Amino acid sequence: MIPASFDYVRPESVDEALEALTDAGEDAKIIAGGQSLMPLLRMRLAMPDTLIDLDRLDSLRDVRDDGDAIVIGALATHHRVLRDPLVRAHAPLLVRATAKVADPAVRHRGTFGGALAHADPASDLPAVAVALDAELLARSARGERRIPAADFFVDWMTSALEPDELLTGIRVPKPGEGWGVHYEKFHRTAQAWAIVGVACAVRRDDGRVGDARVALTNMGPVPVRCRAVEEALAGGAAIRDAAELAAEGTEPPSDLDGSAEYRTHLAAVLTARALAAAAAV
Amino acid sequence: MNSVPADGPDPVRAEITLTVNGSEHRLGIDTRASLLDTLREDLGLTGAKKGCDHGQCGACTVLLDGRRVNACLALAVAHDGADVVTVEGLARDGRPTRLQEAFLAHDALQCGYCTPGQLCSATAVLDELGRGLPSAATPDPAAEPVPDDAEIRERMSGNLCRCGAYAGIVAAVREAARA
Amino acid sequence: MTDRLEGWEKVTGAARYAYEYPLENVAYLAAVQATVARGEILAVDAEAALGMPGVLAVLSGGNAPRLAPVDDGELAVLQSRRVAYRGQFVAAVIAETPETAAEAARHVRVEYAPEAADVLLRADHEGLYAPEKVNGGFPADTESGDPDAAFAASAVRVDATYTTPAEHNNPMEPHTTVALWEDDGTLVLYDSNQGPSAVQSTLAEVFGLEPAQVRVISEHVGGGFGSKGTPRPNVVLAAMAARVTGRPVKFAVPRRQMWATTGYRTPTIQRVRLGAGLDGRLDAVIHEVVAQTSAVREFAEQAAVPARMMYRAANRRTRHRIVRLDVPSPSWMRAPGETPGMFALESAMDELAVLTGVDPVELRVRNDAPEDPESGLPFSSRNLVACLREGAARFGWDARDPRPGVRREGRTLLGTGVAAATYPASTRPGEAVARAEPDGTFTVRVAAADIGTGARTALAVIAADALKTDLGKVRMEIGDSRLPRAVVAGGSAGTSSWGTAVVRACEALLVRLNGEIPPEGVEARASTADEVRSRQKYARHAFGAHFAEVAVDLDTGEVRVPRMLGVFAAGRIINPKAARSQFVGGMTMGIGMALLEESIMDEAFGDHVNRDLAQYHVPTCADIRKIDAVWVPEADPHLNPMGAKGIGEIGIVGAAAAIANAVHHATGARFRDLPITPARVLAEL
Repeated sequence: MIPASFDYVRPESVDEALEALTDAGEDAKIIAGGQSLMPLLRMRLAMPDTLIDLDRLDSLRDVRDDGDAIVIGALATHHRVLRDPLVRAHAPLLVRATAKVADPAVRHRGTFGGALAHADPASDLPAVAVALDAELLARSARGERRIPAADFFVDWMTSALEPDELLTGIRVPKPGEGWGVHYEKFHRTAQAWAIVGVACAVRRDDGRVGDARVALTNMGPVPVRCRAVEEALAGGAAIRDAAELAAEGTEPPSDLDGSAEYRTHLAAVLTARALAAAAAV
Repeated sequence: MNSVPADGPDPVRAEITLTVNGSEHRLGIDTRASLLDTLREDLGLTGAKKGCDHGQCGACTVLLDGRRVNACLALAVAHDGADVVTVEGLARDGRPTRLQEAFLAHDALQCGYCTPGQLCSATAVLDELGRGLPSAATPDPAAEPVPDDAEIRERMSGNLCRCGAYAGIVAAVREAARA
Repeated sequence: MTDRLEGWEKVTGAARYAYEYPLENVAYLAAVQATVARGEILAVDAEAALGMPGVLAVLSGGNAPRLAPVDDGELAVLQSRRVAYRGQFVAAVIAETPETAAEAARHVRVEYAPEAADVLLRADHEGLYAPEKVNGGFPADTESGDPDAAFAASAVRVDATYTTPAEHNNPMEPHTTVALWEDDGTLVLYDSNQGPSAVQSTLAEVFGLEPAQVRVISEHVGGGFGSKGTPRPNVVLAAMAARVTGRPVKFAVPRRQMWATTGYRTPTIQRVRLGAGLDGRLDAVIHEVVAQTSAVREFAEQAAVPARMMYRAANRRTRHRIVRLDVPSPSWMRAPGETPGMFALESAMDELAVLTGVDPVELRVRNDAPEDPESGLPFSSRNLVACLREGAARFGWDARDPRPGVRREGRTLLGTGVAAATYPASTRPGEAVARAEPDGTFTVRVAAADIGTGARTALAVIAADALKTDLGKVRMEIGDSRLPRAVVAGGSAGTSSWGTAVVRACEALLVRLNGEIPPEGVEARASTADEVRSRQKYARHAFGAHFAEVAVDLDTGEVRVPRMLGVFAAGRIINPKAARSQFVGGMTMGIGMALLEESIMDEAFGDHVNRDLAQYHVPTCADIRKIDAVWVPEADPHLNPMGAKGIGEIGIVGAAAAIANAVHHATGARFRDLPITPARVLAEL
């Protein structure tokens, strides 16, 4: 299939992009790497009148140090994220998860910001953003705001971005010393979508897991932060017992690859694995 | 029964320049055209294959500005000025690359339809390993990846082969990686 | 160990597949598919589409050229108002660009009077009937002895029902045609198929032409696995569009449209009953198969046929029942019949091994048949036992502890399984031409198709042998209906059939050669019709044995196959290099069948729901670990001049059973329904 016709706009600056977004209104769609959007265009699940291509906004590709956080440009490709020294030093969980996003060809075009703005609960990186308490930087002609990841994912394929807003970057707090990380992904074949994924970062305290941050992929319309697991661990629970609480408060989908019941089971199993792997570091 | 609006917008056209396998081309294209269709239909470079047109099979893998991508998921209009290498551009002056030789030696192909994508992907694998880029199969993402079978399999998994030539493909990439 | 002759073209992108011939003035076709599973087309409104700039024509039932009726109702494209299944082609747009064609196809409005559709296969469906013949021309039912009484009286009985789902061939190259009509009325088709001669004769029939007026060119074909073995609706549609527009028309069926229009393996429901003594010797074999077909084409998957010749038993019944549903037409998929049938039979044999305590390898050895149990004919060669023994030795089978569910490493259960394989060794009539050129080289011509099998190379090796010359002196010409007529690459009969004709042509040529070759060359033609027809009667089959190791994750239910070995007895192996790829390729598809592949029918829509490669899972590179195939020496003088049996299909036969049997060994749970998904496994742990 071939996409429906559209006007194609390629702004040279963020301001131009914001202007184009305001001009085009609700019938515009932003394309970054296009790895999620192109299939949707092909299947006519998206039929924008105007496509705004951010590919020339090189200022949004960089990763920079921002004191207690790193700021990853929304247009940084997965490939860039994988090899960036700042990301590798301060957000190893993001590296782990990004290595499991689709396949290498997709990772060369797909962007971190695009994967988040797309807000697909089956994609791997939203859960990572939630687990890491990232903040998403949104710009519009009206100004800039920071949206906590927990508030960014509103519903299935729906983010908190307003129609005139552009995601410009992701602010990931530096975790400090002593954290271990893991992203556990379960899928039918290598490179397939996650049936369930678990992103976690833990800090060992006197030989047991104290602080933990855990979030789940594809266990509901939005990525889910597993507060119950985190609290249980903080309260001294063993990994296995805490992981049993992983599916608490989730609304897992049932689809061809797994029933809600199977996903609920997987959530606990994979959370235990992810925590154990992270804690071993 | 069909509820599609009858007055779809007319095609929108654009002009782009592409350098493909070292030759520069000025092209007038439909904004809807993928890089894959542009290569195959406008430039007659049919080495990159169309297997699914949705980024699910990897048969259309080409090197875009030195990195492997699915040409079916790239809008041609978005890549004005880009440098593209397709399977036709891998061998220089009729001399096969190490990978092409290894693919033949290990019978890493049968029907051959996925082969151009496999070769472009494998070319990128050698480059990515050389630059220390980790994959999901890299035990420690901070350490240098080793081109063992697990790494190669993981890195080649975006390219489906229905004939089932994976065993030969892994052997060929391993040989080329260690040469 | 010969490299593929076309290997260089394939690794440099120079090999041309059907879509890729450079033609002037080409138009593009996009098809419109039915959105109801059953009903009547009331009206097709093409006005909006025709009004779009660049649209050349819209074809539908109202204006499509009338075609001659042929046996395969799938080829009566746009000839009826009836909708036989959801996804059937009901209209087509031809336009100047692919973008315009696709867009305009969405604006063709088709109005239907939908009817209630019946799309689910059930073992108790009231519409089940016995077909006159099943695929391959075999009778639907056979019976010998008194199977019911023998089964009832057996000391050990297995009575189990196995199911396999709808599976789609999914060759990497979609079904593709470029059609053009020349001024003299010749229809030229650049077409992706498994046999240009067959496409030529069928299309000639459909369009009321002489075969010589149809030319089919299929130099390189990107896989088929049976789905390109018969012409599919796409080639008819493209030819009609080219006639109506007067332009060359290109049509590659989009991946999602392939699910409905290019064939698939029917789902099966199979009841197998085995009655045996305490020593495992079979006294009764009963294999009863239920499968589906469509409203427009009868296709009867011959899944119980291997049970007719596989094992010795005095009492036997095999039975096939099919039902016409409002579904896409099932067709050939790699080893039709044997693949689903041997999953059931070889799973049942494993169940019998467990019940009797006889080792699964030994059980099969014990039941080996000295002659074809049903016909009484001698086997031309039968080396199943050698395959089992060789495989057992190489795989380390003798050290196997038969107890299920006892090998645990951490949270992983390990197990091993075996299953036998078989596939008929057929040879069909055909023709070939061999030519001596004045420069000392040879040209050999046959309208064979190389769909990835290595046929071009194997035929060149065969010709070089027959001509007593070097491989480098032989030029093979295949993939064109103007070449001497040949059977399709199907039924694992290609190399055997084409090769026989090639050998005879080469032999005839050698007789004619005496000294100097004149400037016009010397040519000899052979037809093998008489030779094939007058062959002595033998039961001719290839055999094999699969050995699989599985690792089952106790927490997720996921099954992995860390190691798999296939051992085959298939006569003389002509080109070991490509042969190994054929065997391993079949086994790889068998791993997919065992664990992943399933097209899921949505009862409400009447269509398969997972119509793409993101949702229909096939093995990727990382899903295939250690896998290998070897063969035992086999000299069989009763096959063909090469002494070779076909090898394209046997690699998948029995592979899924070996894995399912290994999963039983690992877990103690028996999986009789494919695929063995993590959720299904977990439910049994």
